[in-house]
Amino acid sequence: MKARLAGATKGHSLLKKKADALNMRFRQILRKIVETKEEMGRVMKASFFSLAQAKYATGDFKHTVFDSIDQASLKVKASTDNVAGVRLPKFEAQREAGGAADSKIGLIGLGTGGKQIQECRKSFVTAVDLLVELASLQTAFLTLDEAIKTTNRRVNALEHVVKPRLENTIAYIKGELDELEREEFFRLKKVQGNKKKHTEAAEALEAAQRAKGGGAVGNGARENKAANVLAAEQDADIIF
Amino acid sequence: MSFGEDTSEMCLFNVKDGFLEAVVRGYKLGLLTTSDYNNLCQCETLEDIKLYLTGTDYGPFLANEPSPMHTTTLVDCCTRKLVADWRYLRENAGEPMGRFLDYCTYGHMIDNVVLIVTGTLHERDVQELLEKCNPLGMFDAIASLAVAQNMRDLYRLVLVDTPLAPYFSDNLTSEDLDEMNIEVMRNTLYKAYLDDFASFVHRVGGTTGEIMSELLSFEADRRALNITLNSIGSELTRDDRRKLYANFGLLYPHGQAELAVAEDFDQIRSAMEKCPPYQAIFSRLGLGETQMLDKIMYEEEVRQLVNTFEQQFHYGVFYAYMRLREQEIRNVMWIAECVAQDQKARVQDGIVFTF
Repeated sequence: MKARLAGATKGHSLLKKKADALNMRFRQILRKIVETKEEMGRVMKASFFSLAQAKYATGDFKHTVFDSIDQASLKVKASTDNVAGVRLPKFEAQREAGGAADSKIGLIGLGTGGKQIQECRKSFVTAVDLLVELASLQTAFLTLDEAIKTTNRRVNALEHVVKPRLENTIAYIKGELDELEREEFFRLKKVQGNKKKHTEAAEALEAAQRAKGGGAVGNGARENKAANVLAAEQDADIIF
Repeated sequence: MSFGEDTSEMCLFNVKDGFLEAVVRGYKLGLLTTSDYNNLCQCETLEDIKLYLTGTDYGPFLANEPSPMHTTTLVDCCTRKLVADWRYLRENAGEPMGRFLDYCTYGHMIDNVVLIVTGTLHERDVQELLEKCNPLGMFDAIASLAVAQNMRDLYRLVLVDTPLAPYFSDNLTSEDLDEMNIEVMRNTLYKAYLDDFASFVHRVGGTTGEIMSELLSFEADRRALNITLNSIGSELTRDDRRKLYANFGLLYPHGQAELAVAEDFDQIRSAMEKCPPYQAIFSRLGLGETQMLDKIMYEEEVRQLVNTFEQQFHYGVFYAYMRLREQEIRNVMWIAECVAQDQKARVQDGIVFTF
């Protein structure tokens, strides 16, 4: 029992440490998210403005762009990160150096507004980078949130349920053992007292007989028998 | 030009085209003025812009738009106005003015054809593509463009009946559709179109020829400049670049030869500055300020377009009206974007005042 209690205490302290570590990371990520979001707002604004500029110079070029692209030049790679035993998904943007796509896009708007389109493309690429980072942070945030909740639940369960229960059991067992001990002691005392009484009574009887001056032999034999019965009783008591 | 021809032009122009010229001059008065733009710049929301535009010639086209306005719907409405005006002009035009008006829209037609062709190559929905087409460049057979799977079919089935046919047959071979970059194709077609338009106005002659060739050479030069600017650092070779320049214009042929080999902005600048009208433009441009170049070119174009209204008895006004309206739509779009995106500080960067 004591070993279990010790285990519970140790587990509690370990989990507490984990929760603290997770919390620290959580705060870090939260701060980063806020920063990235602000940045995002700025970049998105600039991107859409440059889109407006490109539209001003070229007119609607959406389909031209659509049609000149057959594969994505930006890919998102997912990997995992380990924080105190919690797996956090992590996303990374990877630029594919696609020569063909680049050259095709490079020529869009050759007649008018090509430069604005390139500007627009550049600013949107940074926006996408930021978006991917933000996505990675957000999912990490959610997973961490979940992990922190379970860890906290475990910590609390250990602290408020498992540990008190173990302590209660230990206290009860201790109390019970004490009581048994006390009973035993009392009984021993009682037996000792009884023994004393009997010996005293026997001694008094003997003294009385001796005082009578040696009574009848038959009387003496009866007395002996009675003493024997007492002795047998005493034996049984001890056995019991 | 002999005196007699000039006089007869003055005498006889109004017999056929006087009415339409009057109409287009009426339309011209409906263009937004500087004070209109100033008022538009004060608007706080797109609703305000709509409200203000309802008071102008755009009124009937904007009145029934449901309330949540977007920049695109606003621009669509303005485009509808231009298209309606243009249709009216075209329906009432006799020859050769009808052809002239058609010529003005071929540029959009090229854009539309290129859009549909590339769209079909990538298996996009034709209906969706048709919605994206510029309504000025529509022609009857445009939807059937999507049927064609290769260049030969495309030409044989559809394009041969359109006015664009010679541009395609002269400049593109059947292998080109798959291999050539779509932008190069577009600009090749556009170059052929400009050349053709220039020779057409030359045939029309008179004041029209005079004024239009001036406008077209500016357009050709501007395209040459833009192509050069945009192709720096791309994979376009010098010879390819040279092929995309139109065969006329103030820069033709020496300036273009210099532009074709230019590798950075300073070389372009020195090539352009050899031509007096462009020297004036580039002198307004500070060193390294490439951003402002577009706006200055737009302003120069608008100035020339407005000047065409100073003369009478010629077709240039129609071309000028179309270009001015388009510039105006761009201006409205710019203002609307700036208002919608809360960037009012930059609103002046994009507006080119007409009057």
